[in-house]
Amino acid sequence: MVAEDRRKIALRLAVLRYLLVAVFIVLAIGFWVLQIVDHATYEEMAQNNHQRTLALRAPRGLIFDRDNRVLVENRNSYDISLVREHTRNLGRTIRQLAHVLGLDEHTVREIVDRHLDQPSYEPIVIVQDATLAQVAAVMARRLDTELPDVVVEKVPTRQYPSDSLAAHLFGYVGEVSDRQVAADGLQSGDIVGESGVEKIYNGLLMGEDGARRVLVNSMGREMRTLEEVPPVEGRRIKLTIDEDVQRAVEEAFHGLGFAGAAVLLNPNNGAVLALTSLPEYNPNEFATGIDRAQWASLVDNHERPLEDRAIQGRYPPGSVFKIVLATAALQDGIVTPDFKVHCTGGAMFYGRYYHCWKHGGHGTLDMEQALQQSCDVYFYTLGNMLGIQRIHNWAERLGLGEKTGIDLPDEIRGIAPSPAWKLRTTGQKWYPGETISVSIGQGQVAVTPIELAVMISTIANGGTRVTPHLLKAVNDGHGWKPVPPPPPKAVLHLKPETIATLHKALWMVVNQPGGTGIGAQIAGFGVAGKTGTAQVISLQGAREAAGKTSRDLKDHGWFVFFAPVDHPQIAGVVFAEHAGTHGAALAIAKFALETYLAEQQGKPLPVWPAPPKPAVALATTTTTAAGHGR
Amino acid sequence: MFERHLYHHIDWLLLGAILTLCCLGVAMIYSVTGAVHGSGSHLYLRQIYAILLGLGALVLCLSIDYRTLADKSHLIYIGILALLLYVLLFGALAGGSRRWIPLHVYNLQPSEFAKIAVALVLAKFFGDNRQGAPTPLELGLAGALTIVPMALIAKEPDLGTAVTLIPIYVAVAYLAGMRMKMLGVLALLLILSAPLAWKYGLKDYQKSRITTFLNPSEDARGAGYQQIQARITVGSGGLAGKGFGKGMQGQLSFLPVAHNDFIFSVLAEEQGFIGVLATLGLYLFVILRALEAARLSNDRLGSYLVLGVLAGFTFQVIYNVTMSAGLAPVKGLTLPLMSYGGSSIIATLAGFGLVLNVRMRRFTN
Repeated sequence: MVAEDRRKIALRLAVLRYLLVAVFIVLAIGFWVLQIVDHATYEEMAQNNHQRTLALRAPRGLIFDRDNRVLVENRNSYDISLVREHTRNLGRTIRQLAHVLGLDEHTVREIVDRHLDQPSYEPIVIVQDATLAQVAAVMARRLDTELPDVVVEKVPTRQYPSDSLAAHLFGYVGEVSDRQVAADGLQSGDIVGESGVEKIYNGLLMGEDGARRVLVNSMGREMRTLEEVPPVEGRRIKLTIDEDVQRAVEEAFHGLGFAGAAVLLNPNNGAVLALTSLPEYNPNEFATGIDRAQWASLVDNHERPLEDRAIQGRYPPGSVFKIVLATAALQDGIVTPDFKVHCTGGAMFYGRYYHCWKHGGHGTLDMEQALQQSCDVYFYTLGNMLGIQRIHNWAERLGLGEKTGIDLPDEIRGIAPSPAWKLRTTGQKWYPGETISVSIGQGQVAVTPIELAVMISTIANGGTRVTPHLLKAVNDGHGWKPVPPPPPKAVLHLKPETIATLHKALWMVVNQPGGTGIGAQIAGFGVAGKTGTAQVISLQGAREAAGKTSRDLKDHGWFVFFAPVDHPQIAGVVFAEHAGTHGAALAIAKFALETYLAEQQGKPLPVWPAPPKPAVALATTTTTAAGHGR
Repeated sequence: MFERHLYHHIDWLLLGAILTLCCLGVAMIYSVTGAVHGSGSHLYLRQIYAILLGLGALVLCLSIDYRTLADKSHLIYIGILALLLYVLLFGALAGGSRRWIPLHVYNLQPSEFAKIAVALVLAKFFGDNRQGAPTPLELGLAGALTIVPMALIAKEPDLGTAVTLIPIYVAVAYLAGMRMKMLGVLALLLILSAPLAWKYGLKDYQKSRITTFLNPSEDARGAGYQQIQARITVGSGGLAGKGFGKGMQGQLSFLPVAHNDFIFSVLAEEQGFIGVLATLGLYLFVILRALEAARLSNDRLGSYLVLGVLAGFTFQVIYNVTMSAGLAPVKGLTLPLMSYGGSSIIATLAGFGLVLNVRMRRFTN
């Protein structure tokens, strides 16, 4: 080669040499950036690729009654979820999944769309409580590497073995809402109590989820488990409830077919033995996620099954309110027990004629008789003498118009009216005629069933206004620790004579002929109480409408009681909505008390009589061999 | 033909470096095909056989004087064109492209050998030129010689390999003395033709590869997937890597075609930055050493030949490494010497045979 050529070539080669070295240096720098500078970022992404963390859901604590019988427990169910982060083709996965599960593709897409603003690594539950067939179908596909982004989780699910028993008491559970996640530091997908005991004691009942970290390949197939933290079960709680009494009350209500509420408790400390509200719902329907149609039907149902009437229903107390009048009159020294009034069937007050429920009147009565026979005129008179302010004060002292403080959410308070209250709420002054109506528990006065339960307990135990409560003991895995009952709200210093008179009169209501509460009499068990019939429309109108109106206009029936009268162990209230009279309330209370008594004495529990079978005249419709049917 | 004393002038260092890279490749293939964990994959074995075959080709290319080969370059060139045509018409259809001729023991990919054929023919063409810089006419003719096989390969379609022929042309023309001005004109031509090529030349998937490259996360689950996974693979390697057989991305199949296109990513993951530096160093050594051979060559033909072979090799190395880091559009270009692929190994080793040939005979005439 010519020297000059060689030189030129050498020059150009040199240029190439430097160029190439520069390029390689740039390459090296590039790798340095990726592997050293940004290493942490990519390491994390790599981990995300091949590691999954699966939540191990904690079972909720079990709920027991006072005798350690299981009331609410858990069972295993399977959730089928989609993980968007690991989805390569969302549309295809949705289509496949819908096909495999036998669902409408549109439905599945809707569910996914609803959760679009969730982080993409969080599983979106497509099917809760999947059938075993569905689970098998999905698992088979996963082995064929068809659905790497679908996970099947075993999830403990709430189960209420007695279906709707004490539904409002237990409440129901549901998935935590976004608002709750922000407020209470919960995680999306957590199951929390939405009402009742499940809600109030959610903190105790909720366990702690565990986690399992697994290694997966690009198909999403689990290769092995890297780490596992087991879940912690929620604490178990024991309620003061007596399952037999609870069942008895609800059975009686169902047997008679009325809506209403009932609360039975120990008047000495406020421990609630039974609390029910009807109509009820089945909390099992909520446990796996209630669907919209079911929810709508519950909410729109005009009988309001979701309302806990025991603590949220506000009704006129009717004649039961007379107890307040009597207490007020005796305590304030307005009258003595032998104060007499002559009832002729009605009386004039403030220019208006107020009827007594008994057409011809009761004749002359003292206080005990007036309570026993529930004479309206007697109490119109007392009310007029007391004046609304005294009535209001005593009603409040006895627990009416105030929340009882029971450990259930969303309790409302009743109304114990007063002139100040009326001025504040309507801007108008109180008319003395209104006091007359209030005296027999109509007009502006309204109570919740549980307030009446507290009232009658106060009378029963001699003046201590106990706080009703449900929690008896808690077990966090180290045995049952009893929970001390909450302190009473107030202690009234009632004169012994007042108590004696009231107890005697209330005993006469149930046990002496002429008493309105004979229907609740139990031999050998000194039941004492007061009936009440609360009008929905006026007495006049009721008479005219008797037998012709729909149920909604019929009067409510009340019965408050305690037993035995000398050393009360149990007290309570039964409210029968639109039952017409207090007869139903009496029957229900009697059945509940009989059950309680039988349990105490170790005898077999009473059975609610089955409805008589309709007489079917079979003979008239069968064709005999000889001739034709008649 | 093969004189004993030439034996002393074989560049053993270069050969050693090349073989080291081949062995690294085998090790990586072994790791990523799961053979480490007993998957029973024999890919690494086939690679070893291919290397042995390639060494045979290397010896062959070494034994025959390169000038003789260059004299026959036109025959070789036509033979390759014929093979390329054959592949287009009768080649095995795989993945929507015809690139291979299945011979019973092994698949022949003519496009790999086309690189050497073009290098030879261009070296001969420019080598015969006596006076100064190549004229535009000569450049045009050489371009035509390059474009014909390019078009045939691009039709398969194998755009990646086709494009590899361009650096061969540019490098040889450059060394042959193409004026800087001409280089500028050429570059301009290439840039101007790019939009035309985009509109009429590129298929849809090829277009999407480029757009995806520019923004991989837009299509993170589709075309951008490989790129993102490549970056993750490389980045997660860190300084010292995850260890042999322990690269999660590769082992768990997150990186597709890991034994082939993305073998360097696996190396980066398992051997870390240190491994990357070492391997890049080896490749740079090979390239610079070959450049030396070009400089030491006895005649211009030799220099051009070496540079032609080297250009194809270097372009592919640089592009694949860049692609393995997720920094270039995915192109289906394998890493010479390391990636799994029989024809690639054999053709590359044969090419280096020619390089060794030139250096070895620099004292002869």
